[in-house]
Order: sequence, then C-alpha cells, then structure tokens
Amino acid sequence: MADVRIQGVTKRFGDTVAINNLDLAIKDGEFVVLLGPTGAGKTTTLRLIAGLERPDSGTIHVGGHDATTLSPAERDTAFVFQQYSLYPHLSVFDNLAFPLRSPARRFPEEAVRRRVEDVARMVRIDHKLDNRSTKLSGGEMQRVAIGRALVRKPAIYLMDEPLSSLDAKLRADLRLELKRIQSELGATMLYVTHDQIEAMTMADRIGILADGVLVQIGTPRAIYSEPANLHVAARLGQPAINLLPAGLLPDGGAPTGTATIGARTEHLAIEKAANGHADGVVDWVEHLGDQNHLHVTVGAKKLVTLTDPDTPLAKGDKVTIRYIAPLYFGSDGQRLM
Amino acid sequence: MLNRTADNVARATPEPLAKRIRGISDKGLAWLFISPTILLLLAINIFPLFWAIYLSFTNYRANRPNEVVKNLGLANYQRILGDQDIWIAMQTTAHFVFWTILLQTVIGFTLAWLIDRKFRGHAFWTTIILVPMMLSPAVVGNFWRFLYEPQIGLFSYVISFVTGIPPTNVQMLSNVELAPWAIIIVDTWMWTPYVMLICLAGLRSIPEYIYEAAEVDRASNWRQFWSITLPMALPFIMLAVLFRGIENFKMFDMVNLLTGGGPGSTTEVASITLKRQAFESWRTGYSSAFAIILFVAVFGLANIYVKALNKVKQR
Repeated sequence: MADVRIQGVTKRFGDTVAINNLDLAIKDGEFVVLLGPTGAGKTTTLRLIAGLERPDSGTIHVGGHDATTLSPAERDTAFVFQQYSLYPHLSVFDNLAFPLRSPARRFPEEAVRRRVEDVARMVRIDHKLDNRSTKLSGGEMQRVAIGRALVRKPAIYLMDEPLSSLDAKLRADLRLELKRIQSELGATMLYVTHDQIEAMTMADRIGILADGVLVQIGTPRAIYSEPANLHVAARLGQPAINLLPAGLLPDGGAPTGTATIGARTEHLAIEKAANGHADGVVDWVEHLGDQNHLHVTVGAKKLVTLTDPDTPLAKGDKVTIRYIAPLYFGSDGQRLM
Repeated sequence: MLNRTADNVARATPEPLAKRIRGISDKGLAWLFISPTILLLLAINIFPLFWAIYLSFTNYRANRPNEVVKNLGLANYQRILGDQDIWIAMQTTAHFVFWTILLQTVIGFTLAWLIDRKFRGHAFWTTIILVPMMLSPAVVGNFWRFLYEPQIGLFSYVISFVTGIPPTNVQMLSNVELAPWAIIIVDTWMWTPYVMLICLAGLRSIPEYIYEAAEVDRASNWRQFWSITLPMALPFIMLAVLFRGIENFKMFDMVNLLTGGGPGSTTEVASITLKRQAFESWRTGYSSAFAIILFVAVFGLANIYVKALNKVKQR
C-alpha cells in the first residue's frame, strides 16, 4: 500500500478536456470515492493513475515515485473495470491466479493456490473456483473481478463503478463487503461511482468531479453539510436539495448577496397554516415504502421533503414554511458562509 | 393524438395475404412459397444422391446406356478399398489438405493479427489482401499457369533470379517434386485471405478492456498473446480450418487447370481420380461407389471436428 499524488494533471481527447488541472492526494490506507455524473472525468482519472492513459501535463506519484511515464505494468496498481473483464476461457481459479502468475512475480504455485483460496473466501466465491468464468451470474462475475484485484497487494486499488451493473440487493451486500475488505486490508483505494449512497457509506473522503474539475473534496459529512457550491449540494441528498430563489420565503439572517437558498428536509419546518397566512399548498404525499415524500407548491416553485408516514398533511392543505439554518448560495453558485 | 395515429396505421396496413387469396390456408400458402425450392432441391440434390447410391451397387456405364445393368452388391466398394491407386490418390489429397491448411492458417492468422494493429491505411491493405479471393478459380488457374511457364513466366524468373538456377530448370508444373507444391502455393495464395478474414473477425471480437485488465495485471505482450489472443480467437481459427479442410478435400478446379493430375499421377487427388474413372474410363457404378466413400469420409471427419469445435467454444 502507498499514497498517490496527482498534481496539475490535464488530459484532453481531441478538443474535449476530460481532466482539467486536477490535484488530488490520496493518503496511505485511505478510501477515496470520486462522485460525479457521466462524462465528469471519473474513469479518466482512474485510467490516468493506472497508466492506461498518459496525461498531457502534470505529474502522478505512486508511493513517492514519479510514475507519470511508467507503463501500467510498472505502476503496481490493481484495476476493477466496470464491465466484468474476466478472461472468459479460464476458470474462476485461473482468473484469480492470473495476476500472481506473472513471470515478473515468480510466485511458487503452492503460494498462488493459498492466496487465491484466501481471496476467494474473502469475496465469497470459494465454492465456484472450478467453474468457467462465463458460467457465473453477474454478481459472481464481479466478485471474481474484485477478487482478481485483491489477490495482489498493489500500491492502490482502482475501482470503476464495480457495482453499477448489479441489482440493488447485491449492490448493498457487496458495498458492505468491499468496505469491510478495505478496512481489513488497510488498502488504499480510489473508487468511482455516480451513486451517492455508495459514496456516503464507503468513503473516508468524497471528491466531487464536474466537467473534469475537482469541485470539492472532503469527508462525507462535510460534503453533505457544507457543500462548496450548488453543484455539490445538488449531488447529495435524497430527495434532492430544494433550490429556491432568495425572497421566496421569509429568510431573515441571509447574508448579503444571497441569490439562491438550498434547503433539505432538515432545513425546513413545515406546519399546517393557522387561519390567514400561508406560504404554500401541499401537492401530494408520495409513499415510497421506505420513504415518504411531501410535495409542496410555493409560488411557482415546488418543494420536496421527507415526511412521516403518518403525517397529518394531505393534498390541498395550506402550510407555513420556515427555514432552519439553510444553505446560502451567491449568484455565482458558490456557498456563502 | 396517439389513438388517431394508431387508427391511421391500422387503416394503412393491408389485409393479411391469406385473407385475400381465398381458399388457401396460411399453411397452404407457406407450402406454395417453398415448393419451388423443395422441388429444385429434390431434382438436383436429393434424387441424384440416391441415384448415385443405387448406381454404386451396379456395373452401370454411362457411355453404354443400352447394356443390361447387373447388381454387383458390395463388389464396387470392395474393389475400391483394395485399389492401390485409390489409396495413393487419398494420400495425395491428405498431403494437399495438410499443407494448404497449415500454410493458410499460419499466414492468414499472422496477416489478421498485423491488420488488427489498426495502423494507418489498414482498411486499404485489407481490401488489397482480399483481391485473390474475389477472382474466379478459372482465372487464377490460368494466370498462374502462365506465371509458372519456365521460359516466360514471372514466377520462374524470380526464382532463378534469387537462386541462380536457370529458369528452364524451374519446371514448376512438370517436375515431379515441384508440381504438388505449385498447386499448394496457388491455393494458399488464393485462399489465405479467406482464413485471414475469419481470424480477423475473431480478433476483433476480443474486447479491448480484457487487454487493459491484463496489462494492469502485468501480463507481457507475449503472455497476453498466449493467454488471451490465441485462446479467444481459437474457435474462429478452427472454423476457418474446417471450411478450408472440407473445401480442399474435394479440391478439383485448381488441380485440373494447373496439372490435370500430372505429371504422371503425382498431383492426382481423389476428385481427379473420380473424374478420370467416371468420365474417361466411364466406370459409372465404380466411381459412384468411390464418391459415396469420399462423401462418408468427409462427413464423418467434419462431424468429429465440429464436436471438438463446440467443446472449444463452450469453454
């Protein structure tokens, strides 16, 4: 395990700038999740670290050594691809053993066997070691792919949306397992996803990427409660944060220059209006099973918040709405302190 | 809006054909459509096959249609399996099949592998390489005979230029040693592109990310080739071998055009023997029996091979 330092890295594909002047330092044993929409440059960042792409400018240090111009094989990284990149003609065992059987490593076969069996147990695929890798279910294939990364002890594990093609139940299981495995191994890991739950639950730090720029990096709590700008605020939270123009609701205490107010459920106090004044009207109450969403119309805007399953509010009710220490954003989208 | 669109579509859709042609059921109509093909198949494929099987048990001669036809039982088959010349022809055929397949597979796969590097102009070179395959075998046979001419042929000239042997000594088609190789060279020249095309399809079907995974896993180019490229392209290579094997087992056109089986009988492959027996000696019954034996042999070998191919594919 080792630390990874990316300094001023820029990568272009033709005219598009995939990564723009990226600075990112991952500490030894840290679990960093890159979160961002499709095309934000997450995968490119991983590929740059793995050496599958070369940066146009900037440097990449792995374990204190300059790795900017090294080939993938010389970098000592392990990569889990979004597709199950298994070797289809090999058995599960041989797939897992593949990285260990590299002539450069010269592992005795007995050691290979022991290591493969250990890892297979870790990713819970040890009962299928003799199966052809093509005869597995999607979840099993991805376990093998993850296992193939884990058999080595590289400087850093790079994972590119490894859980995105799995069903919800399996995704939840593997999410926990991955976190457990990572902390057991004390592994340095850079994990890419567009799933905010994965990011919130697994990461030591979350990096938010947008259009090739690292917008903010910090602990999940910090990213959630102190987003740097509107983009970051909009990425986290379910239902998504409500972004309302200043002045729509009484907002005493808003700093000067406030253009937009961001309000999640915990920033809003909604009550049935007493006689007279009302701020909005309940649109409908949406029962999703595990969550209940309250939709409220305020002027021309709509608000969505979480509510109790047995809320007294119903469609058509007039309500008063008050902010409780919401997030304030200036006209440039940056959060105002 | 949507409803109206659906109505329009319904109105514009013609009535089913069977409804319009009265008195014919859907099934009847289906038979009507396929009957020309079935009749043609029966007339020129199935019937001749069974007729040949019948003839193979007789002493029928096509040049003496009025003679009484005697049933010989299995005598034709017994004579063929004991005939020294037939076995020599089979050996010659096996020799051709082996060398043409070996050369075409090795060269074809190598070319495919090189083309798959996707260098500048690789599409242009693919087209150039495919040209021989697009030519008619008759054309290929004739101009190679011209190239092989000892006095004026370009091939003989190049050979003598490189080796210093006088061109009149490079008798590709009339030298007992060289004639088989002359045919192997032409067949390889013509059909290597075909093998290359199939191999190329195989190589293109290997996803890029497998190579990237292997690269991160520190597999050398050599190891990537042996543990990814070759095993994953193997079903395609085997398919190409199957096609070329069946095709060359019954190789006729090129041999007939280039050497006609000579000099002597050094290039007399099974199909040439068959032609000589059937249309020079006019032993129709006897050659029918030989044809049936060849058919069963190819069919049996191909079947065994396809089983092996499926096993490789299923891995």
